[in-house]
Amino acid sequence: MENLNPKDIVTSIDSVTSTVWSDNAPTLTHFYTSSVQVAGNSGRFYSSVYQTGSDESNAAVQFDVAYCDEQGSGSVFYNALVTGSSPSRTNYGQYRNLIIGDEYGSFVFGDYTGSYFYAITIDRARYKEKIMLGTMDLSIKKGANVVKLTDNSSIQTTQVFKDAGRKYELVSGSAGTVYTGKNDNGWTTSSGSYGWVLPDVGIILLNGAALDGSAAAGGVLLATGRNSNQNDTGSKKLIDALNTGDVFTLNSEETLSSKYLFIRARNKDYNYTSNPSFISGSTGEILYDSFIYNPKTYVTTVGMYNADQELLAVAKLSRPLLKDFSKEVLLRIKLDF
Amino acid sequence: MGYLNNSVITIDAILTKKGRELLASGQKGFEITQFALSDDEIDYTLYNPSHPSGSAYYGEAIENMPLLEAFPDENQVMKYKLATFPKGTAVMAVLDLGQSSVNMLQVSKKSITPQTLNYLGAGQTSAETGGYIFTISDVRLFSKFQADSKPSDIQVYGTNVSKTVTGNTLNLQATGVNTLFGSRTTLQTTLIVTGVDSGTRLQIPVTIRRSPLYNGGNETT
Repeated sequence: MENLNPKDIVTSIDSVTSTVWSDNAPTLTHFYTSSVQVAGNSGRFYSSVYQTGSDESNAAVQFDVAYCDEQGSGSVFYNALVTGSSPSRTNYGQYRNLIIGDEYGSFVFGDYTGSYFYAITIDRARYKEKIMLGTMDLSIKKGANVVKLTDNSSIQTTQVFKDAGRKYELVSGSAGTVYTGKNDNGWTTSSGSYGWVLPDVGIILLNGAALDGSAAAGGVLLATGRNSNQNDTGSKKLIDALNTGDVFTLNSEETLSSKYLFIRARNKDYNYTSNPSFISGSTGEILYDSFIYNPKTYVTTVGMYNADQELLAVAKLSRPLLKDFSKEVLLRIKLDF
Repeated sequence: MGYLNNSVITIDAILTKKGRELLASGQKGFEITQFALSDDEIDYTLYNPSHPSGSAYYGEAIENMPLLEAFPDENQVMKYKLATFPKGTAVMAVLDLGQSSVNMLQVSKKSITPQTLNYLGAGQTSAETGGYIFTISDVRLFSKFQADSKPSDIQVYGTNVSKTVTGNTLNLQATGVNTLFGSRTTLQTTLIVTGVDSGTRLQIPVTIRRSPLYNGGNETT
């Protein structure tokens, strides 16, 4: 065992980006739901969206869509005697607690206080650590009306924080480029922005009023159902509009801490081995006479130990590496945390 | 004239069970300070010094073999360490524990003092200057697992974690915990001993027999 020189240990912190969706697809173009999940108890609160038919072997949840309503409209009351207490009201309170952290707080999308919205929560394993800003391209289409949405990180000059971390407005645009045809900020004409992007928790809120607006105002006439004590299948309406829109591009970002260790085997070192096949018999004679003055060993494994000689990490080479008195070996070992 | 190959081989490492245990416990023990190289999986009888195509092909059968991925069990990797000896070394060190297995009765004590053949010279047997590394695969089987007279610090959390100590003599005391046996009369694990200087290694089975007379610290007649 050989002590590592402190200079041979390097810690590197790198930002790693990748696509959010399964199979490393940059864009999700088809949005499938599971009839079993939608019909089940959880379906009252949200709908899970898959990249393929939910009964396919490679089906994986990409994100969930929940409809949230301050008055509890658009879904059936838990108990007919308690007006307003419904899954959509529960969703609203849940996201308010998570994002605003104040039971009296409001969701102000741009300059418009919204009382209902759709929440897209990206599967945790997909967005990894955070959503990568400036990569979103979300298309929502109903009939002939279509809006393309992205985050406003490219024009937002002041960082805004909520209880769920950084907050950006969801605006008209594509891949970080803001479209200012309707409004200088990329908002609708009268219903504020299209929602919020919360990259640190992988949540995108879509302002219901903005989507319900006319095409002239920047909306798509989504027609969110807000009837009292009635299941208006809010999340389904949005998923249908996503399917018609056909484009949801998003990248994730993750900070990876890696430790690199540089392992040096100098020419005079590691040319013999305790491998039992290296010797013949029980008294330790070396297998071949030629190995006495010109031994050859093959490195296959590197073990990393603490001061108590406990094996903490191990690395294998893809194929044996020849070592003898005329060769030196330099290996770089990468340990990710 | 071609370019010299100055590339560095980069390989990804995985944490062993022990590494994960120490990382999770937040103890200071998770600090890599040493390394060793091994040639696990290599069968040197495949080396063919009489290959008809010449010396460039002697190692052909070894150099092209695919290797298995690393095992996370620290007791199943780094079995055969590469060692540094002067050119002309004709014999390799061979470890001698004086026994091929360890059999103990519950709560009994035992000491093991390894010796290394060919350590100081061909045919000579002696203890290695750097001592020996003793690793038990399941430390729950012992109430004492210490090297020389260093303090024994056994902390177990119900699972079969390994423990490593370093010294010249290993002192053992078999567990007195009856519940570990369940309905069995014996418990088995393995002891791995490695020479610090020579890298030579031996793994032997360990068996603890349940004592019918032992009742949680109160001997019965």
